[in-house]
Amino acid sequence: MAAEPTTRELRELVAEYEFERGHLLPALIEIQEHYGYVSREAIEVLARQLRTTPALIYGAVSFYADFRTEPPPEREISWCSGPACRLRGGDRIREALQRTLDLPLDGQSEDGAYGLRLGQCNGTCSEAPQVWVDGEVVGGLTVAGAVALAREVKGDA
Amino acid sequence: MNDRFTAIATEARDRWEAARASGREQVSLCLDTSSLARGGAETLAALQQAVAAKGLNVDIQTTGSWGFCWLEPTVSVRSAAGTRTVLYHSLTPDRVEEFVQSVLVEAGELPELALGVVEGAPSDQVGMLDDHPFMQGQIRRLMANCGQIDPENIDHYLANGGYEGFVKSLDMEPEAIIELMLESGLGGRGGAGFPAGRKWDFLRNATAEPRYLVCNADEGDPGAWVNRILMEGDPHLIIEGMLIAAMATNSVEGYIYIRHEYPLSIERMNVAVEQARERGLLGEDILGSGKTFDLVVFVGAGSYVCGEETGLINSIDGYRGMPRIRPPFPAQAGLWNLPTNVNNVETYANAPLVLRHGAAWWSGVSDDEAKGTKMFTISGAVNQPGCVEIPFGLSVRELLEKYGAGTPDGVPLKGYQPGGPLSGVLSAEEADLPLTLAPFRDRGLFLGSGGIVFFDETTSVVDLCTYFLGFAEDESCGRCTTCFQGTQRAVEILRRIGSGGGRESDLDKFEDLIQTMTWSNCLHGSFAMTTVKLALRYFREEFETLIREKRDPTRSLPGMITYEVTSPGDPALPEAAAICPTEAIVEAGSSYDIVDELCIRCGACAEVAPDAVTVRDRFV
Repeated sequence: MAAEPTTRELRELVAEYEFERGHLLPALIEIQEHYGYVSREAIEVLARQLRTTPALIYGAVSFYADFRTEPPPEREISWCSGPACRLRGGDRIREALQRTLDLPLDGQSEDGAYGLRLGQCNGTCSEAPQVWVDGEVVGGLTVAGAVALAREVKGDA
Repeated sequence: MNDRFTAIATEARDRWEAARASGREQVSLCLDTSSLARGGAETLAALQQAVAAKGLNVDIQTTGSWGFCWLEPTVSVRSAAGTRTVLYHSLTPDRVEEFVQSVLVEAGELPELALGVVEGAPSDQVGMLDDHPFMQGQIRRLMANCGQIDPENIDHYLANGGYEGFVKSLDMEPEAIIELMLESGLGGRGGAGFPAGRKWDFLRNATAEPRYLVCNADEGDPGAWVNRILMEGDPHLIIEGMLIAAMATNSVEGYIYIRHEYPLSIERMNVAVEQARERGLLGEDILGSGKTFDLVVFVGAGSYVCGEETGLINSIDGYRGMPRIRPPFPAQAGLWNLPTNVNNVETYANAPLVLRHGAAWWSGVSDDEAKGTKMFTISGAVNQPGCVEIPFGLSVRELLEKYGAGTPDGVPLKGYQPGGPLSGVLSAEEADLPLTLAPFRDRGLFLGSGGIVFFDETTSVVDLCTYFLGFAEDESCGRCTTCFQGTQRAVEILRRIGSGGGRESDLDKFEDLIQTMTWSNCLHGSFAMTTVKLALRYFREEFETLIREKRDPTRSLPGMITYEVTSPGDPALPEAAAICPTEAIVEAGSSYDIVDELCIRCGACAEVAPDAVTVRDRFV
């Protein structure tokens, strides 16, 4: 993952995308895959490339939950918000994660070391209640297990 | 029959047959998202390593899911002679060595992990897979290939009748294809059940060109993974269905819109599209017919309302995925304001079956008014969360008991959600309803796309309402005040009721919201209150108990309970104090106290010290 995007790099990255060809989302996804997030600079560069306004691009960035506007944390717990998890204590797990990490959902620590994210159900409901830690499923979780996990991710354990 | 296709299909079948007649054992490991969540990738690596280390004469391939999601990773073994195939379950990495030794090296069976014999004769210890309780009564048509073929190898699809339906449609007039679809009675599988043939006919009759097809694979209903099973298990079935729709509507391009939460589906659909293109089944002059149709796999970015067809269209167009105001309908003005047809994954996937086998065969599967088979995923308070394919008409209770193996620990069923956060909740008394469209429509909701979530008596209906309304609030696009403010208001009231602040007038406020929110532009707003509406119909007493007695009969709502140390000397208490995320458990003399102001009711302490910590009503 590249560090600070430069304008030139960004222009090259989005050079193939065209206005009104269904390219906004693919372009944003490519930017985020490359840099981990969509920076203000990236929004401006993409607006010029697609011949539209930064406001329209930002409107989309803020609309879709998957886009980030700051670099992702080094470690991340993504909490599954699905119903099968909810029925097995998922909301108590969320509360415990938030308090242990001292973060809201979709928040991250100031130093960017760890974060908490709202995840959507992907139908692996046999693992409920579950979270993803850096993309890996941790299933059959208890609240106590979630607290221990959050402490470990935070570096407290 | 098209000569080019005959050549392509024959070559594919020859390669498939040759692989099966290789004289080697064939090990087929299910590698879908559920299997990956249960260590499937590690199982695959361990299998490959063990087979290489022992120098075994074995082919390993990966497949999609059989639907036994709670028993993944599943794996089938076909004997070297090709006379017998046995399906096994729960092949976690730690079991691979034993499995390889007893099944592959010693050529025996592992009855404790066997689900059944897929082909060949049963043994004393392993019966036929079709006789397995989970398989009985299922009719696998859409899922016929799932678990049995490698979804990343088009040969496998072609060798099993793949694309034959499309080739038939190549020689048919668009009207005739649509006539056939209408005759079959295929209804849209996204929830509404609108006849697919009529929808296609709208597009066929559109005046503008070019025309587009969109496949809605944004399966955003939490608790539904029907489309994922198909995309990860048999992606070409969807492509073939879209090709048939393209022939019926003279469309030139199609988009498969997949949510980003499904990376493996995205990958497999991309591979399948690429392979179909290589064989000349997509692109220009398909199979020398002069017809052109190509597909784009389009990835979403996290938005539930993009599952609404006009929201989805806006999303592809390059805007926020806000549902449009209709009319105009997509058949007049869809993608780039050009004529467009949007169908669900499962709807398109049925079209090849209708073309290949005919409308009578397809619809003859049951007497139900809703035709064909339907895939359902079952989750929540069930012992076996999995995916089944059955004819319409089976009762909800049968689905729960037969395929879900009932509720865990024998806790009685309280109710269920038939299909997504907008579909509402029904009580256990309604569990005898047949799974078809009419009874749900009559009760003011819809059956939905197939994700059925069961809940038992331990669940608070107010918590469920808070959850589903909170979801609707989060995912509201923000266009209609009725929706984005209505859901906010509903959540505020529900939270208040759920923390002891409920008022008699709240129930009237709900009635107001139920009414006004139906004036929202799209289904998201107009159906968001279905859960509350039905909860008030079936579980009104629970609301009244919360409001009047300030008591939660389920003792599960965080705002209605307190935790108390009731067994002071319990040796587990220090550990409970240590796990508490808010340091609410403090030493008090020789024991511990829970400081109520600090306690967040997460219950971690009660898990660690179940005999020492007791949950009590907060207000009673």
